[in-house]
Amino acid sequence: MESEETGSPPSGSGSTEVFNSIRERTIAENSMVVLLQGLHGEVTTVDLRNESSARGRVVNVDAFMNVRLKDVAYRDRRGQVTQLQDLFVTGRNIRYVHIPDHVDIMKTIESQLAKIHRVRNFASQGGGRKEFKTKTK
Amino acid sequence: MVLLKSLNPPTEGVRHEQAETTAVMGGQRLGCGTLYVAETRLSWFDGAGLGFCLEYPTIGLHAISRDVSAYPQEHLYVMVNGKVGDENEAEMAEKAADEDEDDNSCSSSSSGGDDDEEGTITEIRFVPSDKAALEPMFSAMCECQALHPDPEDDDSDNDFEGEEYDVEEAEHGHGDIPTFYTCDEGLSSLTQEGQATLERLEGMLAQSVAQQYNMAGVRTAETNNEFEDGMEVDAAAMEAGQFEDADVEH
Repeated sequence: MESEETGSPPSGSGSTEVFNSIRERTIAENSMVVLLQGLHGEVTTVDLRNESSARGRVVNVDAFMNVRLKDVAYRDRRGQVTQLQDLFVTGRNIRYVHIPDHVDIMKTIESQLAKIHRVRNFASQGGGRKEFKTKTK
Repeated sequence: MVLLKSLNPPTEGVRHEQAETTAVMGGQRLGCGTLYVAETRLSWFDGAGLGFCLEYPTIGLHAISRDVSAYPQEHLYVMVNGKVGDENEAEMAEKAADEDEDDNSCSSSSSGGDDDEEGTITEIRFVPSDKAALEPMFSAMCECQALHPDPEDDDSDNDFEGEEYDVEEAEHGHGDIPTFYTCDEGLSSLTQEGQATLERLEGMLAQSVAQQYNMAGVRTAETNNEFEDGMEVDAAAMEAGQFEDADVEH
């Protein structure tokens, strides 16, 4: 049985991608967020809805498109740039996420979906709950 | 001028508490106090018990700033959509009408949509005296933010059509096979091997029942008759009903 928790990104400097709930996995699988989740470790620019932008290394993107970046150059609306060590921006406030040129979009999506399916299948195999053999047809 | 409300600090779900933290809102230093990163909301209170709170859906982003050329102190930067000060004034007027409010809800811009269009933001800086605390403060906020996904998000399409179904079963075509059987169903679904196993186990059970009365060389059935303590042990009934509650029936 899989236990369900409310989705929460890994704390600290964890750069591993983690689906913390069945719900998040389902949301991710059915939206383009899987592409962004494949960008972990890449340096990208995130344009915010308030005309500012943040460029840094992707630490984590969750199913709600909340993005966590590190070593960020943050440019505010006036064009002033400041350095931020860690940045968390809510999905709601994001307008665009730039995909680096060297990233193969289709491959990234496919490998992310494969990861989701591996996690799901791992949980169902070896569950050991079958008390009788299944029907052999 | 920011009006601070008289509120109670949160008692439950506090992921992080940071004392000796100065709050600066929109450039105005509010004083030194304690920051509470709780699951329900973010709040800060000065020594006199006055403070403010922020609802996570209104927080656009938060970050650790160590760039002293931009701001002289290392701090936690929080960008709030909408204006924080005005909401405090409005809510104080409302609360004057209400009697006692146990609910410490903040009014910071529940109609966040409109304010976003205007692009009004409030910048808040939390400057802890302990700079090493910035990372746990940041992480705690990340965790709490994730507990408040955007309810207005139309794109995420959380409504799925049709009935929920088990993906693995659908993919492997065994959807109609239950993963466990009741006793009656199970008996009829046994393969030959299963049937043989069942018979063997039942045989073992029957044997162990008979052996019960020969344990340690003592014939229990006879022994019981010797004890006249008023408790009648009906050996026969015991034998018959011993395994009545077992799943497998003869």
